[in-house]
Amino acid sequence: MISYIVKRLLQGLLTVWFIATATFFAMHNVPGDPLLNDRAVSDAIRANLESKYGLDQPLGTQYLIYLKNLSQGDFGISFTQENREVNDIIREHFPVSAILGILAVVFAATGGILFGALTAIYRNRLPDFIIMILVILGISVPSFVIAAMSQLALVSFNSLVGVTVIPVAGWGTIFHMLTPALVLGLGTMAYLTRLMRSSMLEVVGSDYIRTAKSKGIPAPRIFTRHQIRNAILPVVTVLGPSIASITTGGFVVELVFAIPGLGRYFVQAVQQLDYTVIMGTTVFYGAFLVFMVILVDILYGLVDPRVRLEK
Amino acid sequence: MSRNINQPKSSPKLLDVNKLAVEFDTYGGVVHAVRDVSFSVDSGETLAIVGESGCGKSVTVQSIMGLIPMPPGRITSGSALLRGQEILGTAMIQGRDIRGSEIGMIFQDPMTSLNPTMSIGDQIAEPMQVHKGYDYRKAYSEAIKLLELTKIPESTKRAKQYPFEFSGGMLQRAMIAMAISCKPSILIADEPTTALDVTIQAQILDLLQELQRETGMAIVLITHDLGVVARLANEVAVMYAGKIVEHGSVEDIFYRSAHPYTLGLREAMPTNDPDKQSVLSPIPGSPPDLFSPPVGCGYCARCPWSMSVCESKNPEGFYLNEGHYSKCWMHHQQSPVKPIELYFEQQTHG
Amino acid sequence: MSSLSPADFERISNSSEKENISRPSLSYWADAWIRLKANKRALLSLYLIVALLLFTIVGPLIWTIDPALQDLDQISQPPGSNRLALIIDDYEPWTGLSSSSENGLRLAESATTMAVRLVWDVLPNASGHRVYRNIFPVGEERAYGIPLAEYFDNSTQFFEDRLDLKPRRYFYSIVSLGENGELQDEYQSIAVDLQRVTTMSEARAKGLILPNSELTTGDSINLNLHPLGTDYLGRDMLSRLMEGARVSLFIGIGAPSLFILFGIIYGSFAGFMGGKIDQFLMRFADFVVALPFLLFMILFKIAFGIGPGESGVFPMLVALVVLMWPGTARLVRGQILQIREQGYIGASQLLGARTNYLIFRHMLPNTLGVVLVTITFAIPSAIFIEAFLSFIGMGVAPPTPSWGAMSNEGIKNMLTSPHELLLPAILISITVLAFNLLGDGLRDAFDARLRNQE
Repeated sequence: MISYIVKRLLQGLLTVWFIATATFFAMHNVPGDPLLNDRAVSDAIRANLESKYGLDQPLGTQYLIYLKNLSQGDFGISFTQENREVNDIIREHFPVSAILGILAVVFAATGGILFGALTAIYRNRLPDFIIMILVILGISVPSFVIAAMSQLALVSFNSLVGVTVIPVAGWGTIFHMLTPALVLGLGTMAYLTRLMRSSMLEVVGSDYIRTAKSKGIPAPRIFTRHQIRNAILPVVTVLGPSIASITTGGFVVELVFAIPGLGRYFVQAVQQLDYTVIMGTTVFYGAFLVFMVILVDILYGLVDPRVRLEK
Repeated sequence: MSRNINQPKSSPKLLDVNKLAVEFDTYGGVVHAVRDVSFSVDSGETLAIVGESGCGKSVTVQSIMGLIPMPPGRITSGSALLRGQEILGTAMIQGRDIRGSEIGMIFQDPMTSLNPTMSIGDQIAEPMQVHKGYDYRKAYSEAIKLLELTKIPESTKRAKQYPFEFSGGMLQRAMIAMAISCKPSILIADEPTTALDVTIQAQILDLLQELQRETGMAIVLITHDLGVVARLANEVAVMYAGKIVEHGSVEDIFYRSAHPYTLGLREAMPTNDPDKQSVLSPIPGSPPDLFSPPVGCGYCARCPWSMSVCESKNPEGFYLNEGHYSKCWMHHQQSPVKPIELYFEQQTHG
Repeated sequence: MSSLSPADFERISNSSEKENISRPSLSYWADAWIRLKANKRALLSLYLIVALLLFTIVGPLIWTIDPALQDLDQISQPPGSNRLALIIDDYEPWTGLSSSSENGLRLAESATTMAVRLVWDVLPNASGHRVYRNIFPVGEERAYGIPLAEYFDNSTQFFEDRLDLKPRRYFYSIVSLGENGELQDEYQSIAVDLQRVTTMSEARAKGLILPNSELTTGDSINLNLHPLGTDYLGRDMLSRLMEGARVSLFIGIGAPSLFILFGIIYGSFAGFMGGKIDQFLMRFADFVVALPFLLFMILFKIAFGIGPGESGVFPMLVALVVLMWPGTARLVRGQILQIREQGYIGASQLLGARTNYLIFRHMLPNTLGVVLVTITFAIPSAIFIEAFLSFIGMGVAPPTPSWGAMSNEGIKNMLTSPHELLLPAILISITVLAFNLLGDGLRDAFDARLRNQE
């Protein structure tokens, strides 16, 4: 198990290196190479950039300097704002995105497992139909529409009650977090519900459930001891990619709900063509996602003895 | 000479199945998987149900155990009496009164029939926790004893392991340990050796026989392998196209075969007798479509002795002697082909 | 039994006809097609997709209004709204004269979309006034709306509003100002319903009335028809939705086709070569999968650099292909590896089949079912990605309409004219839904077949 974790972590580092390299060369492919021309706003920033990125050096040397900075956990400095480091920006904005993301993943996973199990139990009956219609809507309606609609609903709800029970936008209290997290997790929840449903149905039809029945185990015990644990496995495997899609899906939700997260900052940076911030945030996000996927894989090992014992 | 098989029973048998019929709704139509199947078994006996794949033998026992998915499955008629009490389709079979405690069951593919995420020991302990009310600790130590009983070495260590760490034969032993953990009066073995290689097969069969001697339980053995039948069974029911076509003692079936299908099966079986022919003769053709089962005898199209009545009328059971019947028109008084001819041809064939 | 006659016991021969009892066997595709046809939801979604394609391809041939044309008379009109306009005289400057004899804030003449002319009496204790306009009543919170003008003495008691007027109800307010121009409590508010108007010269210029027409001032004419209304720039929603469908479906179908083609080539090559080459190729695919998808889509967009006048459709297509192929490649490779182990491949090799024959006759056709299912699921996700990126302003560049870009523009006016958001959003949802359901149906159709083969 330990050697498996070490192996995964080394693979992860290699992947992060690939992401960093791809980012570096993508940004240097920008027409006219903005790191070389005069688009940096002030002389002070320009001087900073030159010392930081070795802009007077050849491309290969620049790449090495860039990798060296990254290996020291330094994601760079801002292209448009003086004395602003990408690390500061991440430190300031990422916790907000992370809280939002964690809440959304919790919503999506618990909801997906719960609803998926329910639909499988009530297969082809009313609860199944209702939940599956909602799931299809959740998969088909873009998140920005759901975000806008939920804002609209909140506005009319608040005006109906007369006080602002749940704020429509902004960040701060738990009430600010609930709606955006729910909206953010909804698509993934729908996806996980479907996955859990089909996985449950497959488990229900499996040989070992037949064996359990032949042993005379009562249905509730079969459900808790045999079905859930096996049915949950495919859901756990896609949790890693789900975290990735929820994190980037946060861009829209942060924009619509005016949440000061890293996603919104990233979009702003793109609009202001703050190249170094874009590079830094991309690599940071990439590294974060790679290690989240590894974490989920290790967690999977705890649930599935086949993985735990073989690796 | 010939009697109808539906005669009144004298004393209640341990398990008595009567006129069972099962259908499945599929997207291609209704499959009549089991049609009018009757058999019984008593303590200490071993009944083998033999037939080729798809003949409905597994469906028969699974529908008695309430294990076929309903829908699409449906038990349309029949009864199954356990010590004279109806269990077929009742709440009793769904609950914990019979399954696991009165009737134990083992399945064909031990690799997929055990829960992959639960340790072997836990899986064997589970029925004892449920039926006998043992606490986990006691049930688990009993499970280890059962593993020893089924001859699994290092049982304490093995009990902690998971199915993927076991070989097929070991898994089948664990399965047997699980099925007999609550000392059932009947053990249903659904193709218990099909997925195993030959040496392991023999070990498993020996184990079953030994356990039967010790506990006196009845065994209902489902198989397509006549070798397994010869080794284990007292009584044999030969199934074809959803029906039992011949029923008798193991001697009746092997030495006085009274149905052309049984004969065909025997000829298709390899033998190590140097006097007999070395070429196997397969039964030509394929079983009938159970979406629309034939009106007459199901074997008619493949039978070398078929007559026009075979196509139009379903043969009743003709008793040849006590406990041995065959559903074949050949045994009718008016039949020009006499059973004696069958025996004769049987000898010239074999 | 006595009913049996000797004839019943005549021997019959086993003709081959009697043995012919099995149902006609179906080919892989025929069987899948039958299953798909039995699936009502999948069939319905298939019809929906055909309808969408007709909407996209045939639609613009029937509804020929230019999607970029701005109809300034009809801005943000919801579908099916009244399009009658009164013809009035040309605009003439106003000097503040009023024929109205009422008191307080009042209209000098009837309000039209050309001009709203207000006059008022001086409010108590006012040293000046500020004029506001709102689309909601003022209410307790004193939400006056947007300030239009302010006057720091009481000499001016009239105001003409010509700012972006729409045929709807407005709430005009005047608020008294203190000596230093500060806002005071005193205010007056009136509700004004605007009449849509046009002038003869305007109507002629737009071709709404013929030169020899006898219509004169005071008559009503119908403005241009916009069946699904107009957006905030007065552009026709229907033709923009059709144009947007072209962009969205071009990306939604074009990108998956390309990356799946590439994935098939890459995956089957890797799977067929096996060994070190396979490992290396798949390692690379793993790297590409690990790239944070949306960030790299944005990164590529910047790296491409969209020049003026370009729509940004092409960079998005390339970025999608570059980032999305590994999924298909992995899938096809897995299938090829699995098929390579099958007995019939060995049998075919024994019979002297060449590599090309094996690949094209056995391996690829057997992966096609899986690939088809992948395509149907890749299309909605590509449409989603396009919509998502265009929504955050990183997708196709305005004025090119795509459904995502239209939603982005629509959300700004969500409260006043919800149709600008809802229409493109509904189209996105329907398209994604149809492809998802079709994908489900296809997967079930092929899956069932696979299960039967076990």
